[in-house]
Amino acid sequence: MQADLVVDAKGLSCPMPIVKAKKSIDTLSSGQVMQLEATDKGAVNDFQAWVKQTGNEMVHMDEENGVYRFFVKKA
Amino acid sequence: MAVATINSQELHNKINSGESIFILDVRNPSDFNDWKIEAQHLVSVNIPYFDFLEEDDAVYQGLPHDTEIVVICAKGGSAQMVAEQLDEKGYHVSFLELGMLEWSQFYNPVTVYEGENMKLIQLNRLAKGCLSYMVISGGEALVVDANRHVDEYTKLAVSENVQIKHVLDTHLHADHISGGAELAKATGAQYYISSSEMQGATGLDYKPLEQFEALKVGAVEAKVLAIPTPGHTPGSTSVLVNDQFLLSGDTIFVGGLGRPDLGGKAREWAQSLYDTVFTKVANLSDETVVLPTHFADIKEINDNGYVGATLGAIRASNEVMRTENREAFTEMVAGASGATPPNFEEIVGINRGDIHVTPEKATELEIGPNRCAVHHS
Repeated sequence: MQADLVVDAKGLSCPMPIVKAKKSIDTLSSGQVMQLEATDKGAVNDFQAWVKQTGNEMVHMDEENGVYRFFVKKA
Repeated sequence: MAVATINSQELHNKINSGESIFILDVRNPSDFNDWKIEAQHLVSVNIPYFDFLEEDDAVYQGLPHDTEIVVICAKGGSAQMVAEQLDEKGYHVSFLELGMLEWSQFYNPVTVYEGENMKLIQLNRLAKGCLSYMVISGGEALVVDANRHVDEYTKLAVSENVQIKHVLDTHLHADHISGGAELAKATGAQYYISSSEMQGATGLDYKPLEQFEALKVGAVEAKVLAIPTPGHTPGSTSVLVNDQFLLSGDTIFVGGLGRPDLGGKAREWAQSLYDTVFTKVANLSDETVVLPTHFADIKEINDNGYVGATLGAIRASNEVMRTENREAFTEMVAGASGATPPNFEEIVGINRGDIHVTPEKATELEIGPNRCAVHHS
């Protein structure tokens, strides 16, 4: 999946992955996709709730070797 | 300015002091709805921390200026962030330093009974709804259904100036990791559990509880009777202390009966539960005080601060306890069990001594509420 911006939040714990995500997605234009990578398991539920709350769209998410990847399309 | 932190003990003291307190839980709504800090007369609202990242004053509407706000999250990080923002805006605020992670490991000891020859203490692990007991007599103690933070019991034994002689589990727990075997090892006490709960288990040193009709604590004062009460699990055993207090494990709760479905044999175990209720327990008087291993609702904490009720009161308020028709009873009990406790298969494996995990993993497995009671309103 192609992303317009890749954000590395690996090794960071709550609330930093979401803080980074918020700052990063603010720099994108509508329709662009942000890819965020995190290793904090707690981020998984929070990230989905945040995406829903902000009206953006979770296009895809996966996990590999403890790294969670979220692809969010800006509304 | 650094924002004040608060730990679970301090938070609990505040909640119990009658002081006005406002909890702002900043976890995401699904986590909040699943499991939160509860107490009577406690105001608790949920605004996820990421709402505070927006520059939107509407988020702050409804937050009181005249009451202390305690901010809570999963592990403390986002609560700190939100607390700092509130502090800047002039709110009177603190945050629970290690969040629900710490709250889940907080125990509150309450004395249920103190007489000349015997003292009975209930340890309430509030966040999990897990209850355990220390029966004290003549400088000795029996611990029933210890949770895994064994320091809580050794510390209490020191402050009560007693030696722990016996440690027992009423059954193989599925919702929390038992501290029974470890506590026994640490104190040189004997560890007991019904052998039918441990069939095929490897590597745990225990005495089969069913072989002991009575355990002696102190001189002769505390009479402890092991009463097999199958139903929740086949080997569930209740403990009757001084003919007065029934430590009922997960068999009988203040608000209902233990769920029989955690072994995949709901109907079969429901039949055992029927026999327990209408033969074994039927012989006990209405005056007997039932002290279970769990509570399902904060309302089960009575005016004396502990979870317990007389058998008479439970019989009067619980329809299932009066349903003498075997078929109808089975239907009610086996049919209404709800979601299983999270990770219960792994937890059972640990409690049988078959699986070993690190303390971090144990904490993770146990997070969340217990789900061992069946609710019947």
